[in-house]
Amino acid sequence: MSDTSRTREEILVLAKTAGLDLPAEYFDELVDAYGHLQTMISRLPRNRARSDEPAHVFHATTFLPQEG
Amino acid sequence: MAPSGLHFITLAEAAKLIAAKKLSPVELTETYLTRIADYDPLLNSFVTVTADRAREQARAAEAEITAAGPRSKLHGIPYCLKDIFDTAGIRTTAHSKLLAENVPARDSACGEKLTASGAVLLGKNATWEFAHGGPSWDILFPPARNPWNTDHTPAGSSSGSAAAVAAGFAPATMGSDTGGSIRGPAAANGVAGLKPTYGLVSRRGVIPNCFSHDHAGPLAWTCEDLALLLDVVAGYDPAGPGSANVPLPDYAAALTGEVKGLVIGVPWRWLEEDLPLKPATRAAFDAALAVYKALGAEIREVSLPRIRAYEDSKRVIAMVELFSIHAEDLRKRPHLFGASLRYRIIAGGLIRAEDYMLAMRARTDLARAMQNVMSGIDVLMLPTAEPAAKLEPVHPSSLFLKSSFTTAFNVGGNPALSICSGYAEDGLPFSLQIVGKLFDDAHVLRVGDAYEKATPWRERRPALVLPAPA
Repeated sequence: MSDTSRTREEILVLAKTAGLDLPAEYFDELVDAYGHLQTMISRLPRNRARSDEPAHVFHATTFLPQEG
Repeated sequence: MAPSGLHFITLAEAAKLIAAKKLSPVELTETYLTRIADYDPLLNSFVTVTADRAREQARAAEAEITAAGPRSKLHGIPYCLKDIFDTAGIRTTAHSKLLAENVPARDSACGEKLTASGAVLLGKNATWEFAHGGPSWDILFPPARNPWNTDHTPAGSSSGSAAAVAAGFAPATMGSDTGGSIRGPAAANGVAGLKPTYGLVSRRGVIPNCFSHDHAGPLAWTCEDLALLLDVVAGYDPAGPGSANVPLPDYAAALTGEVKGLVIGVPWRWLEEDLPLKPATRAAFDAALAVYKALGAEIREVSLPRIRAYEDSKRVIAMVELFSIHAEDLRKRPHLFGASLRYRIIAGGLIRAEDYMLAMRARTDLARAMQNVMSGIDVLMLPTAEPAAKLEPVHPSSLFLKSSFTTAFNVGGNPALSICSGYAEDGLPFSLQIVGKLFDDAHVLRVGDAYEKATPWRERRPALVLPAPA
């Protein structure tokens, strides 16, 4: 099921903000895909504790000088 | 009757014969090049065949081995690479019009290691466009086909890689897996494919799909062959994104055959509610578990978060990262994308940063939940996929709507292996997925190897039939 709560006009504004100036047929693809995406996003858990860390935090050890 | 022909030799068998100087790398390479030339038009599993280079490498390997013996188990062994692995001086197209003229200056990290081991590059394999859009008929090359039935898909995105191994075009190849792209094709083509632990194999020089979920890994006919490949390609790479600095076992030596006392967890809720199995696939899975019970393993039910929770997190993260990788091309030349890839990434530019963070925070919870379950068992087992479907256009939204048994282990980062577990009535392979604890790839391969040696499935190969001359 696709989330169709955003209008085409709203999606057009979002696309332009993203630098996408699409011909009509590609814009139709975007509207369709966006609906599915919003459905997935709506299912993500919300109301997180402030301290809930995302999985991609910075690891300083990655940037230590390499030996040799 | 087991299929015959030098082209069906396993990597392990070839390595022993080459070391004993009973098999010439030149003869072996020529065998594959001839077979590819004769039969690959049926499968489209290669997009570039590096015949001259392969012959030159094979001659050099033979001379070196004759003089001083092999320098590694892969010395003189032919292999191929999914066409997203950079190859110096050889086009690397990601199967896309966007990279039709792309010739990298440097090999991928895996390519460097395989060359240093003395292996012989046969060529580059077909893939879905940028390992994400497919099957596609509107991109640089046609899609690959399944050698067990060429009307069926080899799955993706490492489609050509898996098809080539099954068809006897090469004993080994490297693929990539972001949501199932090694394991799905391995399942569809009846070969062994390993998505290693995240970071175990360097992704340097592999064109990215999604930084947070990409894995590079081997495909071959058997788990023993995978172990020999992993012995070469695994290891810390300071220049490799996300590369893990961990001690490495001898993966081939770890194949002891011992699985007595193994504790296998099965996520039955996934198989009965989230993505119910078809009866024949369930029967094949039950039969595989029975083999392990007979070998002394114990089966337990385990409970994981729902498949959809893993997929929602992964897909939102992936779309943002994919959009970031392709943003300039989407803005300036969207017409050069295949329709499937363009559809699957274009909305990523509209995702709010807050929603990306929600997906990343969900990933933390989901990955922890998986490791908590794994702490109480040795391995998780479930089918990889249903047998291969027909090769036909599918709406690109299928990547958002269809569930799979594979994505969750990209989210968790765990090693996940797909092996053949039999054949359906129509001859298409069944598959078994074995998932291990983080960095316990050796154990996963041992468990898979024990099953292969206890069953007859490795004795069957697809029969390729050339059309009659007009």
